Amino acid sequence: MLKASAATRVAVLELALLVVFAVLPAALQEFRVVFVTRVMILALLALSFDLVWGFAGIMSFGQALFFGAAGYTVALLARDAGITSIFVVLPAALGVGLVLAFVVAAFLLLGRHPPSLTFVALGTLTGSYAADRLARGWYYLGGQNGIPSIPPMTAGPLQITEGLAYYYLALAVLVATYAACRFLVRSQLGLALAGVRINEARMAFFGYRVQSLKAIVFSVAGAIGGLAGGLYAFHEGFVWPNMLGVILSTQIVLYALFGGVGTLIGAVVGVVAIEIVSFVLADAYPTIWPIILGLLLLLVILFRPGGLISVLVPRRERIAVLGLARLGPPSAQAEAVDGAA
Amino acid sequence: MSETSHVTRRRFLQSTAWMSGAIAPGAGSWVVPPAWGQSGNPIKVGIATDLTGAIGYAGNANANIAKLLTKEINAKGGVIGRPIELLIEDTASNESTAVANVRKLIQRDKVDVVFGGITSSMRNAIKDVIVTRGKTLYIYPQLYEGKECTPYIFCTGPTPAQQCDEFIPWLIKNGGKRFALPSANYVWPHVLNQYARKVIESSGGEVIFEEYYPLDQVEYSATVNKIMTNKVDVVFNTVIPPGVGPFFKQLYEAGFQKRGGRLSCVYYDENTLNINAPHEIEGLASCLDYFKVVTKEDAPSGRIQAEYDKQFPGNIAFAAGSAATGMYRGLKLWEAAVNEAKSVNRDPVAKALDHAKISEGPGGPAEMVPGKRHCKMRMYTAVAKGGTYELVARSKGLVDPKEC
Repeated sequence: MLKASAATRVAVLELALLVVFAVLPAALQEFRVVFVTRVMILALLALSFDLVWGFAGIMSFGQALFFGAAGYTVALLARDAGITSIFVVLPAALGVGLVLAFVVAAFLLLGRHPPSLTFVALGTLTGSYAADRLARGWYYLGGQNGIPSIPPMTAGPLQITEGLAYYYLALAVLVATYAACRFLVRSQLGLALAGVRINEARMAFFGYRVQSLKAIVFSVAGAIGGLAGGLYAFHEGFVWPNMLGVILSTQIVLYALFGGVGTLIGAVVGVVAIEIVSFVLADAYPTIWPIILGLLLLLVILFRPGGLISVLVPRRERIAVLGLARLGPPSAQAEAVDGAA
Repeated sequence: MSETSHVTRRRFLQSTAWMSGAIAPGAGSWVVPPAWGQSGNPIKVGIATDLTGAIGYAGNANANIAKLLTKEINAKGGVIGRPIELLIEDTASNESTAVANVRKLIQRDKVDVVFGGITSSMRNAIKDVIVTRGKTLYIYPQLYEGKECTPYIFCTGPTPAQQCDEFIPWLIKNGGKRFALPSANYVWPHVLNQYARKVIESSGGEVIFEEYYPLDQVEYSATVNKIMTNKVDVVFNTVIPPGVGPFFKQLYEAGFQKRGGRLSCVYYDENTLNINAPHEIEGLASCLDYFKVVTKEDAPSGRIQAEYDKQFPGNIAFAAGSAATGMYRGLKLWEAAVNEAKSVNRDPVAKALDHAKISEGPGGPAEMVPGKRHCKMRMYTAVAKGGTYELVARSKGLVDPKEC
């Protein structure tokens, strides 16, 4: 009973957010439309982190690596090859994220011995940091200055510039990606991932190739991060080394933790909440707003470790709801899940 | 497994919560409205500068001088009969935050002109939002490596030519022929050194070595050793804080100045002078468009400096290395251009700004070089003596920026 209603609550929230995003531009000035576009692109990035940490239990402290690498790739395509077509640049961004994430996963996850949580966290962090330093020192990539003046994205003869067009492009990509992630985590693969997260050794004894499962999810999340990076580069009109770095990587983690991990929608809620609160605070208290924001985040994380979403979905329920919803009455699984969570 | 993962997660949350404040994105903004209310149609001037973050001291000096000038202009009745409304946004030393905040100026407030940006990476990040997408005029006030030739961007700080053409011959005469170019590894030192090397070689000097170090390197004993063993006469430094303090200290302790070496650094102004103890950088030479000591020989500079010190006492100095002088020059040149164009629209103002002149400013008069969007100005060479600067050379008239 409880579980069904938790699933319903999540579904209602998802639908409500979708409707709000769809009609929002009608109520906003152009400037705010651009702001929300940026928030949606960052939500895509937070989604990729939730997928690896919330569902597969891989602590990726380097999601910005895929975001930034894809951003640089499309910036170079636009600058040096004159390619700005959406049908080339977005698949390219996605591909760069996917391949790079697979390489990182092969290195960190697919070794002879299963890696520890700390090893993966530090490994991804190092990757992100190294890429940041590389970009700062490489003049082909503009060094510290990054690559400015990226021309607008095009679709045939049309230019997709910031504003309404880009807003709905970002929304479409976010919704499609969200739907794909939702399908993924509720599929058999998602169920196996929940198992891996909760008891990796047992899953291995069951015969699952645990590390391969993790590598798959990590690569998919990298692809999503890349997609976000491609969108971000054209939206902001420039790329710079911080897009690859540790600060952004940490920021992504905070977005997801603030909203609540392991629900997908929590990551989106986290980005929306943090960005809107900082936007409002920055206007109201120009000199001390970062301190207020910091305290607010601290309070949420101390008193609601499950993030904002835990108001709707108690921590112990989320695995069952989002992993086993399609497998009939939950009574049989309830005990096992409660024990595990 | 389940237990440990639970604990790890919670511990992780608790241990990382503190970071949220430190890295939270975004920044503050405020508006300085014109002092009187009857005129309903003020000219909106946007300032985008680093009020917070690593170079906050420089950004605040920029904002201060803009406030001072706005007050002054409005007290005289504004520009073309309209008061100026100043809108200040923080670029927070963070390019992503900066783009979001500059969009506020362009898209929400619809400002008529934007001044600001200090680092080149900041200029690169925001210029598109302002000029290409925003169709607004942009004036960049900082000394920089040159080569910014985008239409509608006007630069009012010194270029490599202005900082090297007269300075390097002076260094050769007052230091020696053997130069070392220790540098931080980013764009400005690379491009500046390219130009400096040309001037050094054409003036009869030679470059013993040109090396680039990570921006956060603070250990320079290998570099100091190289300088001492190769009998370098002049260190033309572009290492920046935080590395520059330890570097100068180590160089002093190795006895570089004692055996007659000349230290030089073209971004050194009154702010950076305090990084080291005075005796460690005794004799350091710098070349800028303004030093506080200029006030003794140029009355208008003295008036500006006195007014600034009166309105903004404290430790945010009005100095050339932090773009504050470029900001002053930019605002006054823009005011002159608007007065000539009788409009604040981009094209007529840009056309008038192309040949705008001011007869007074920090360091003296200044004028735009037609078609170049860079600014001719006087340049001064100063040497650090006991914690202040002493002027040792000044340009004859205005120095050409030689850009675009």
